[in-house]
Amino acid sequence: MVMKRIVYILSVCAISLSSCSELDLNPLSTGSNANWYEDESEVVMSLNDLYREAFWPKDSESYSDNFQSRSNTNEITNGTINSESSMVETRWKNAYKAIGRVNSLLANIDKAAKSIPEASLSKYIAEAKFIRASQYADLISHFGDVVYTEGVPDLAIASALSRTPKATVLKHIYADYDSAAMFLPTSYGSTETQRATKGAAYAMKARIALYMGDYAVARDAAQNCMDLKVYQLYPDFAKLFALTTKNSVESIFVIPRSVEFGSCLGKGGSPYLDNAGDWMTRNPGCYAGNNPSWELFCSFLCTDGLPIDESPLFNPREPFKNRDPRCTATIVEFQTRHLGYMYQPHPDSLKCYNFNTGKYVTNNDSRGVNQYASYDGIMFKKGIDDSWLTSGNKVDPDKIIVRYADVLLMYAEAKIELKEIDQTVLDAINKVRARAYGVTYTQTSAYPSVTTTDQTALRKILRTERRVELANEGLRYMDLIRWRLAEKALTKPSYGMLDPADLRTKIIKTGLWFFPEVPSIDEDGLPDFTSMYNKGLIKLLAIRSFDANKEYLWPIPSKDILINPNMTQNPGGY
Amino acid sequence: MRKKLVFIIAFLSIIGTINAQTSKINLAIKNAPLSSCLSAIERQSDYTFMYDNTIDVNQNITISVKNGSLPSVLTSLFGKTSIRYEIVGKHIVLKPKSLPSESQSRGDNRISGVVTDDQGQPLPGVSVLIMGSTSGTTTDMNGSYSFSKISPNETLVFKFLGMGSQEVKVGNQSQINVRMAETVNELNEVVAIGYGTVKKVDLTGSVGAIQGDMIANRKTTQVSQALQGAVAGVMVTRSGNAPGSGATIRVRGVTTIGENNPLVIIDGVPAAGLSDVNPNDVENISVLKDAASASIYGSRAAAGVILVTTKHAKSGELSINYNMEYGMEKPIQTPATASAVRFMQFANEASWNDSGNNSNEYPLYAKDVVDNYATLNAEDPDKYPDTDWIGLIMKDYAPRESHQLSISGSTKNVRTNASIGYDKTDGLFDNKSYERYSVRLNNDITINKMLSATINFNGINTYNNNPATDPIYQMLTSPPIYAAIWANGGLAEGKSGDNIYGKFVAGGFNKSWVTRVGGKASIDFTPFSGFKLSAVIAPSLEFDKSKLFNKAVPYYASEDATRLMGYLSGHFTTALSETRNDNYNVTSQLIANYAKTFGKHSLNAMAGYENYHAFYEYLGASRDEYLLTAYPYLDMGPLTLRDNSGSATENAYRSYFGRIMYNYDNKYLLQANIRRDGSSRFYKDCRWGTFPSFSAGWVLSEEPFLKDNAAISYLKLRASWGTLGNERIGNYPYQANLSFLNALFYQGTTVVSEQSAAQIQYAIQNISWETTESYNLGVDANFLNNKLRFTGEYYKKSTRDMLLTLQIPEYMGFDNPSQNAGKMRTNGWETSLTWNDKINDLGYSISVNLSDFKSVMGDLKGTQFLGDQIKTEGSEYNEWYGYQSDGIYQTQEDVANSPKTSTSVKPGDIKYKDISGPDGVPDGTISAYDKTLLGGSLPRYMYGGTIGLDYKAFDFSLAFQGVGKQNSIYTAEMVEPFLNTGQWGNVPALIDGKYWSKYNTDEQNLKAKYPRISKTGNTNNYVMSDFWMFDGSYLRLKNMTFGYSLPKSVVSKLNIQGIRLSFSMNDFLTISKYPKGWDPENTGANYPITTSYVFGASIKF
Repeated sequence: MVMKRIVYILSVCAISLSSCSELDLNPLSTGSNANWYEDESEVVMSLNDLYREAFWPKDSESYSDNFQSRSNTNEITNGTINSESSMVETRWKNAYKAIGRVNSLLANIDKAAKSIPEASLSKYIAEAKFIRASQYADLISHFGDVVYTEGVPDLAIASALSRTPKATVLKHIYADYDSAAMFLPTSYGSTETQRATKGAAYAMKARIALYMGDYAVARDAAQNCMDLKVYQLYPDFAKLFALTTKNSVESIFVIPRSVEFGSCLGKGGSPYLDNAGDWMTRNPGCYAGNNPSWELFCSFLCTDGLPIDESPLFNPREPFKNRDPRCTATIVEFQTRHLGYMYQPHPDSLKCYNFNTGKYVTNNDSRGVNQYASYDGIMFKKGIDDSWLTSGNKVDPDKIIVRYADVLLMYAEAKIELKEIDQTVLDAINKVRARAYGVTYTQTSAYPSVTTTDQTALRKILRTERRVELANEGLRYMDLIRWRLAEKALTKPSYGMLDPADLRTKIIKTGLWFFPEVPSIDEDGLPDFTSMYNKGLIKLLAIRSFDANKEYLWPIPSKDILINPNMTQNPGGY
Repeated sequence: MRKKLVFIIAFLSIIGTINAQTSKINLAIKNAPLSSCLSAIERQSDYTFMYDNTIDVNQNITISVKNGSLPSVLTSLFGKTSIRYEIVGKHIVLKPKSLPSESQSRGDNRISGVVTDDQGQPLPGVSVLIMGSTSGTTTDMNGSYSFSKISPNETLVFKFLGMGSQEVKVGNQSQINVRMAETVNELNEVVAIGYGTVKKVDLTGSVGAIQGDMIANRKTTQVSQALQGAVAGVMVTRSGNAPGSGATIRVRGVTTIGENNPLVIIDGVPAAGLSDVNPNDVENISVLKDAASASIYGSRAAAGVILVTTKHAKSGELSINYNMEYGMEKPIQTPATASAVRFMQFANEASWNDSGNNSNEYPLYAKDVVDNYATLNAEDPDKYPDTDWIGLIMKDYAPRESHQLSISGSTKNVRTNASIGYDKTDGLFDNKSYERYSVRLNNDITINKMLSATINFNGINTYNNNPATDPIYQMLTSPPIYAAIWANGGLAEGKSGDNIYGKFVAGGFNKSWVTRVGGKASIDFTPFSGFKLSAVIAPSLEFDKSKLFNKAVPYYASEDATRLMGYLSGHFTTALSETRNDNYNVTSQLIANYAKTFGKHSLNAMAGYENYHAFYEYLGASRDEYLLTAYPYLDMGPLTLRDNSGSATENAYRSYFGRIMYNYDNKYLLQANIRRDGSSRFYKDCRWGTFPSFSAGWVLSEEPFLKDNAAISYLKLRASWGTLGNERIGNYPYQANLSFLNALFYQGTTVVSEQSAAQIQYAIQNISWETTESYNLGVDANFLNNKLRFTGEYYKKSTRDMLLTLQIPEYMGFDNPSQNAGKMRTNGWETSLTWNDKINDLGYSISVNLSDFKSVMGDLKGTQFLGDQIKTEGSEYNEWYGYQSDGIYQTQEDVANSPKTSTSVKPGDIKYKDISGPDGVPDGTISAYDKTLLGGSLPRYMYGGTIGLDYKAFDFSLAFQGVGKQNSIYTAEMVEPFLNTGQWGNVPALIDGKYWSKYNTDEQNLKAKYPRISKTGNTNNYVMSDFWMFDGSYLRLKNMTFGYSLPKSVVSKLNIQGIRLSFSMNDFLTISKYPKGWDPENTGANYPITTSYVFGASIKF
């Protein structure tokens, strides 16, 4: 009996002992790099990661003088950007994440080399280099000299690296783009996933060369891109940015977005951080918080090709009349249908027409009704149409990194700066401008074609052309930086309409709606509203600030400065 | 000789004692010698007779008894003889009735006697002292003592460790037998230590023990909250007091940068946390504070161990207990925000400051609107709203209730304690509640002398209901000038769709359920006395589910309730997402224990093996754009917008451990532990860690020079050294795990999603155990017959190879990896003092504890940045890190001539000191180089205590807790204006009138406590600096309970054993320097700290 029990006890003990767990455990649902990069699909998956939207940042339009948001400013426009700003750290960190992943891939790709066809292998390497070059390009354009690495450095070595002069980094960028351009395909078949192309490598190379003032390289790279003959301007400027126009013939490098796959702009609130709602008017239930600035509005030329302060066609009472078609394609014209309602910011337009119901309803886009209607009376239209109102205002326009019109304008700019002003320069600008009018550039009577060959005049024309063609595409800020116009453009206050009571007495009753005067436009194409402000006819919305001693470069994030004694900070007191 | 023999027999009869209290005696003796009768009684009871040769046992007697009780038998037996008897323990001492007292008759003043414990067992080693002198003796192995010369006027004092001392006047007695009772004294409390128990008196390490009734009396639903202020060296902090929320526990501060949660062991098995157990089920809790106590749990014990023992039935007990509580929770306070008019004035002032609208002082809100707002609001509340967001959302109080039924019973072989509990606490706003069911069944089974078993089962189910959008942050920051509800009753737009009331009231729910069931089976095999072999298996299963149903919330035009204006932000579409977690873990143990006493040596040795394996699997599924909002089920959503996800992890430990405890004569105590652990989290060559510890105790009060001291009842010195490990850094940091995501590409003009992979972390393969070495010195001293008790501890801990997530250069492109890099040191001390006594019927006790620690970082091989805090060599753990302020700029001249953060700085902004620059010298600008350490952020001088009173049927207790010193900061929620996404939020009322303003006189501005109202200035003003620091010390009355027990005479008529009624208040008074509306434990937009008022009744049948 006792024996029996002892046997029983011992067997229980044995069971508990034998349930000894294995300690050699591995993550169950994630891979590990120990056995990664071993075949083609692992290489492709690693590359795929680098096409995620996070690695293709754009400067916000709100950093520039094309934008205003009520009386708000941000760290760039109020001049408070510092080495601990999260936007600075995020930009820096994400670029280096991508670079680190490229370097890791390039260091390990040999492991998979045997199983990948030669042509594919060189294409993958080319893609990786294209991505690395683009990341470094973004870094040097914002931060100046940066840490440059091509390998995967040991922690101890990495912690003591110092900044490489941006000229040296630029050479590496060129080398990567050149190598990429050599092996990347010109285009992809309609059943292939579309990744980086030769044209993208050329276009991006042109961009960084232009940003760095290396005009000859910019010219050649843009020329190479144009010579590929695979890109053309999409015929309809207004529709180019619509949700229905995906991956158009003009797109050279785009990051797709998709509501279905959860990558899109939302109306605010999680999980979509980018706010689509602020770009839309209040009548359909959005917020009208992000507005084009009056400076942008006044930069569109008249149909005679002249700036508004020179053109007899400009009427400040009817500011949309006789303007370059991109004006009404970019900014909602008053008394036109927008997002299902008649758009009219007039303070006495208390009702407006609802096209969907055929009824007149309270006009929430008039400051006479709603405090938060657009403070300067205007709203962006570029890309925004009724289709934005479906799917809970989640929208998925392409994130266009570079398009062909930009390449044409880069080519022209490089040549102008090189004083190589020839017909190709005028053609490049005219192609872009003619498309806006819906004609070909050779139909010179149908649009105000550019004919001057004077460098100064052309420079001003080109700069204005870039501003209006590429408005709200995140390029204006870098243009201001590289033209060193930021200290001028970003120290001008932004203006808007007077508050309703004042507006009625000083503007409406006196018949001065919309613009009480024609603003003057200076030699850099920057409109000036001081006169109207001094007369009390417009309202100052926000004071912009830009410290030319330091803010042409962003600060190096303080964490890297504090942990690495060899890291230096950009000058000017960051 | 005979006496000796009897003693031996007596001693032997103790072994194998059975409770014979109830045994009945049958005698039928006719003219037989008394000796045979005595033998018969000895056979039928467990008593033995003691007598000497003055007793004639050969005299013949006659007696006949049927089922007689022992006293009645003895009375009738000796009644007619010249013998009298006396029961001493299990002995019946026989004496001649006529014998005069020895001292008188002999005149030699001899006295002797036997000292037994309350079970009648002789007690060796009892000191018998003559009061007021230094002479005395000690009882021998048989518990007997004698004095040869003693005056009848003397008084003998009997003292024995852990028992109440007794004083007996000698008088004319020649034999004084004393029965010593164990005092109800913490020294006799059995304290759980790792894999065993020990009497507190035998402890050598530092262990804090709390009895279960103290936990239950705090009337909290969570055990963690009840521990606040209860144990010296245990820091318990809350952030808000939402229904069902627990608290963070730190044992002796922080020892590592990583995980600092103590290991929780419930009934010997590792548990997920203290929320697994209902406070009413707790028998006692031990907190193992020093390395010597905790190192038996080596691997995971670096942050301390909390051992919870749940209630088991006691033998001979049969009862049913029902407890119920009803109560309510009232928020302590909520911060005030600016009124509608003040908000508009603030906004105008900010805009005026930032945009310089010349002389227009009304750049945003026109003068006529501001001046006539009340009238305008009355005329058109839709256009000129005045919304009380907090009032709309928050209720004045929330009800709570709790019920607990427990049944306890035992038979000869089985003891069972079963309990079932239910708790429900409602939230202070709708759609918020917490419910919990808990079941616990503990069975102890004795199979035979060698074999016993324990089968435990426990289950807990909690249900947490929350609104889909938590309203607190937005409720506190939304300005009153936005409408929540239109005059026509429909939901209003709020601020651009941010109508938190609408989102909260109509936006759906976020519910979660946690179900945990666990069991423990153990078999104890005792092949011979003192040796026990236990095999334990304890599985635990957890099933969680959550359901987030985020509904679309449309709002309509104020003038036309049919005109859809849009949807509230975050509620554009109706989406459902559900998750399921399936987790299980199994702990198995094999433990051998051997205890043996040889003379004055007593030895206890334990060796064990433990195995742990845990597995976690997650499943998630969702659909979006539901057409219907009444069906929160996946089936009802559209097929196109579905998503799902899943993942799994596992980890395992294997451990070998052993302990030897040695005790010499209750004076010298030694203990040694060792544990060897292997963790699956490390690479196989770095996987094992060994953690030894030693501790010793010296009971000075047992030494001759103190033994006779009447003032000192007990004095012990303790010292320990040991090491502990930590590996809680997530799974497999030595491997560079890949993270899988998706990237989008075009195929033609179709978007496709392709899987992507990336290594996110920089892996360090040889990462291994972090080790904390600790020293502890302790003293336990009891005075005045244990009425006054003092414990003091000093400790030093140093952690090396600390597992750190160090900042690596961001340009490396990896997330910061864990590495064995840092060192840190923590020094601290703890004291506690208790007094309890009784004055007639009034019992009272006062107990206070005070502790402190300071953690300083050693060489970390780097720095860890935590926003406003930092960990770097020489800093305290999470020390505040920021600028040193120099007041507020008063003039433009001052601004122009000072180093500043940017050119946008203006008068009214905070001025900072230029400490350094890129070259280590002031560089004329304020940048990251000028940040310095600003002082520790952790609380110092934490204290707590209780006061208890009982008088007849009434009892009262009061518990308090506090922090003596803390560097706290004014958080953004407290002082920053316009705090909300897009800076449209309200302005805290507490800055009103105290900020720098152009409207102020220069003198007022000199006294300004807060900077100017500005949005541009925020980057300068609301960064971390000493400007925002203040003294955060506080004292809080945690709990006050009045109880009344109905008189026995009343309840016994109802066949009830007892009824107790009580009323408690929790968190009802706080004294601190926190600004009005804020609380030391609620410094942000969290659920408020609440005062609870609870009525309780408990009935015992």
